[in-house]
Amino acid sequence: MSFSDIVTLAPFVAAVLVAAAIIVVDFIAPGRKVPALAVTFIGLALVAALTVVTGQTSSTAFNGAYVVDPLTTFLDMLFVAIVALTVAFAPDYLEQRTLPVAEFNAVLVFAMSGAMLLAGSADLLVLFLGLELMVLPGYVLAGYHKSDGFSTEGAIKYFLLGSFSSAIFLFGLAFVWGLTGTTRIEGVSQSLAAMAAGGAALSPGLGMGLAFLTTGVAFKIAAVPFHYWTPDAYQGSPTPVTGYLSVGPKVGAFALIIRLFAGALGPLAADWSIMFMVLAALTMTLGNLVALTQDNVKRMLAYSSIAHTGYMLVGFAAFAAGQIRGMEGLLYYMAAYTFMNLGAFGVVSALQKRPGITSNLSTFAGLIRREPKLALLLTLFLLSLTGIPPTAGFFGKFYVILAAVEAGQTSATGGWMTGLAILAVLNAAVAAFYYLRVVVYMFMRDQAGDVPVLRHGRLVWAGLAVTAAVTVVLGLFPNVLLDIVGKAAAAIG
Amino acid sequence: MTALSGLPLVSIITFLPLVGAIVIAFTPSGRPNVARYTALAFALLTWVVSLGLLVSFVATNGDFQFVETQSWIPMFGIQYKVGVDGLSLVLVVLTTTLTWISILASFSPIQNRVKEYMISFLVLEVGMIGVFVAMDLFLFYIFWELVLVPMYLIIGIWGGRNRIYATIKFVLYTLVGSLLMLVAILATAFTYETVTGSWTGAFDMQALTAFAAQGNLAGTFGVVAFAAFALAFAIKVPMFPFHTWLPDAHVEAPTAGSVILAAVLLKLGGYGFIRLAVPLFPEAAQTWAPVIIVLSLVAIIYGAIVALVQPDLKKLVAYSSVSHMGFVTLGIFVFQQQGMQGAILQMVNHGLITGALFLLVGVIYERTHDRTIAKMGGLGAKTPVYAAAFGFFVFASVGLPGLSGFVGEFLVLVGTFTTSPAAAAVATFVMILAAGYLLWMFQRVAFGELSDFLKGIGDHLTDLRPVEALTLVPLGALVVVFGLFPGLILDLIAGSVTHALAAVQQAAPIALGLWR
Repeated sequence: MSFSDIVTLAPFVAAVLVAAAIIVVDFIAPGRKVPALAVTFIGLALVAALTVVTGQTSSTAFNGAYVVDPLTTFLDMLFVAIVALTVAFAPDYLEQRTLPVAEFNAVLVFAMSGAMLLAGSADLLVLFLGLELMVLPGYVLAGYHKSDGFSTEGAIKYFLLGSFSSAIFLFGLAFVWGLTGTTRIEGVSQSLAAMAAGGAALSPGLGMGLAFLTTGVAFKIAAVPFHYWTPDAYQGSPTPVTGYLSVGPKVGAFALIIRLFAGALGPLAADWSIMFMVLAALTMTLGNLVALTQDNVKRMLAYSSIAHTGYMLVGFAAFAAGQIRGMEGLLYYMAAYTFMNLGAFGVVSALQKRPGITSNLSTFAGLIRREPKLALLLTLFLLSLTGIPPTAGFFGKFYVILAAVEAGQTSATGGWMTGLAILAVLNAAVAAFYYLRVVVYMFMRDQAGDVPVLRHGRLVWAGLAVTAAVTVVLGLFPNVLLDIVGKAAAAIG
Repeated sequence: MTALSGLPLVSIITFLPLVGAIVIAFTPSGRPNVARYTALAFALLTWVVSLGLLVSFVATNGDFQFVETQSWIPMFGIQYKVGVDGLSLVLVVLTTTLTWISILASFSPIQNRVKEYMISFLVLEVGMIGVFVAMDLFLFYIFWELVLVPMYLIIGIWGGRNRIYATIKFVLYTLVGSLLMLVAILATAFTYETVTGSWTGAFDMQALTAFAAQGNLAGTFGVVAFAAFALAFAIKVPMFPFHTWLPDAHVEAPTAGSVILAAVLLKLGGYGFIRLAVPLFPEAAQTWAPVIIVLSLVAIIYGAIVALVQPDLKKLVAYSSVSHMGFVTLGIFVFQQQGMQGAILQMVNHGLITGALFLLVGVIYERTHDRTIAKMGGLGAKTPVYAAAFGFFVFASVGLPGLSGFVGEFLVLVGTFTTSPAAAAVATFVMILAAGYLLWMFQRVAFGELSDFLKGIGDHLTDLRPVEALTLVPLGALVVVFGLFPGLILDLIAGSVTHALAAVQQAAPIALGLWR
């Protein structure tokens, strides 16, 4: 280990230190929210600055086990944004339930450090390390509301299935290691390329490995049919945590997929691309169909997040079929999804600020009268999630579908990719139904009984302003991100 | 060109209503009249500017004028590019005219949440104008979808008893069509990129039309992509069998919503056919033409027959729309100068006449809170001015020579006759049916003794108020003017029609062997 290793790893190190600092501050001023928040935000700003600075040049650390390239930088910045927004939305909600804010922030920042490690990993072991460091705090957060039975139930389900899938994933990694003799992603890729060049069929061992790995990551991104943990874990968790869980670990898991499948297993793309096509088709269709029947908005958003996984997988499938634009589309979609989905959850958690308020549709009845700003913001986020222009969600879908259409006209599996593109837009129409249902409640129905107007903290408004602004800007002026996404995708393609 | 040519007039017209919407958002919420008059002021201003555009437009050829180009997403060659040719211009002016009339007509019926209503209406206007002036497919699509949201709110918030069902049906129908169109747009753009090796112009309508004229979008690809475009437009028009959202939406929408829906929103579909579907896929358009012509005839007959048995005034007018819009698609797909000119004229006429009919139905509904034809009767004696106005527009809708409705349908029939006499014969026969259902309806409403139901209304049953007359007079005047001087419009659109037809005449139809 040399000094340059540490410099390359600086954002990650900084993230860990920030998390530690939050705990220390909480020791000094126990239970005080302002110092904890201040340290968190300053720390996150620092991490972001370091990420930008180290991202200026591509470099590797620890003999090539960790890599900083435009993809790492892009993902790291996304993680910082996710955590910062979650930290902005959470305190209002947590305080009312007498849950500690500082610990929440610290756990969240630890999760972020794991995601950052994952994003830059160039070695299978580092990859797994990052993955676990990212998901373990997630289990804690899911059960953060200790006295709430649903929160605990969700957390246990999440934990059991999460560790189960981690084990499966690790098993798959072992196969890959056994057959290639290395854990370096570069090495695995070269070794597999040599095998693939020989023209030999996929060996049974490697086939097993692929199957385990795919299953493992499918659990992590909550792809159908490996999604069963999602609705309970999402509905049971405190709402700001649900927002985080639906975005953070998902983006992280996609980082894992990109590094592992596009990077290490790239030479075998012909073998695994079909699996991702099937996963994409199943995931978006089933996620949407089940979301149709939900009366609880939080649960509906949980299922809809499954559907969004499906759209992202369409981009990845297009990449697997040879279109670099598929990767660009996936990255763009991840960014768009991050802001619109966090925004939507931000509104829901603001509405649920007072304990005892459910996230049923009835809570949203007549919201335009009661809290017009929140109603309008939620409408924006829901329109974006539907994919109506000019919003980020629209351009994300545009990009992903464009990639699928391109793959449809150029690749060997063309017909299937075109079919996937059509399936994706039909799904978007289905999704319109349940997203607009919330809008119907907010605008077109009157509230039952007297519901008090809640006051929301400045942080919540700031968070909502940021998510709304980004949602609109990414829709109207996609240029701001296209270059970045292009470079990030080029790093892996 | 005049002094106006230095200004970005088209953008001004497009976004002026948006400025109005933003201004209204900042007006105090307890003062509905402020919102009303601000909205009216901006709508009138937009109208005036659009008239300025009309005056400075040079109607010599089919080229686009007042073109503004601004780089937007260079990576995909997407531009902010707007401009008008004769066809766009006519429809833009139709939109701006009907918008201020609709807003004026909403003054008294809309009493709650006036501010939101006016904002929705102005945003709707932005979307509608945008669709007509966009010269970039991406921009076109954005405006196309932008129309959806305010209309969804207008029906869903200020509509009738079944409004939520109707509005969701409206959105879902439209969205399915437009999303499939999005796939086709992307596939087309990508084909352009593959062949030319560059994204520059891949979304530019003019570049794509030139590209298509070289036969690059022919073959099976064209047949499928045309189908996707055509589906989106057919749902909007609406063509049989995709029309089922229309009666629901019309019946539930507030009066002004119905007016703008009939007058402008349906025209988006017809416009799409002429501007995009036909020039981009001239080969496939000919392949599909027999299907579309048959469906148009079905719509013409079916709409008329169903209108004949409607007990509800508004539903009757809605079904008559299906029938009248059938003439539009028929006229387009006979690929013949008179036919297509007639189709465009029919779009304008239908906008004016059906818009007026919905206004008139709204007037009686506001007084009686009922639209059942069987409960009406004897309005001719009780409210003579109203009955006279109603009669005027009924006759215009029937196609009385001298009024504009006649010219459009006549041209469509002439055009159809040269290519398919049988289709023309069927369509002509239906004009008799149209006379049947419209005149029968008018007779039941206006003639005879004053019905018991209307007697029960008593003094509330007043004749047309000045404001209501003010909304109807311009429409009536235009109906007369275009009826006597259709050349006013025909000269404007001749170039656009020639362009659209030139594409078809150069291209050989794709023989699929399916329907020969």
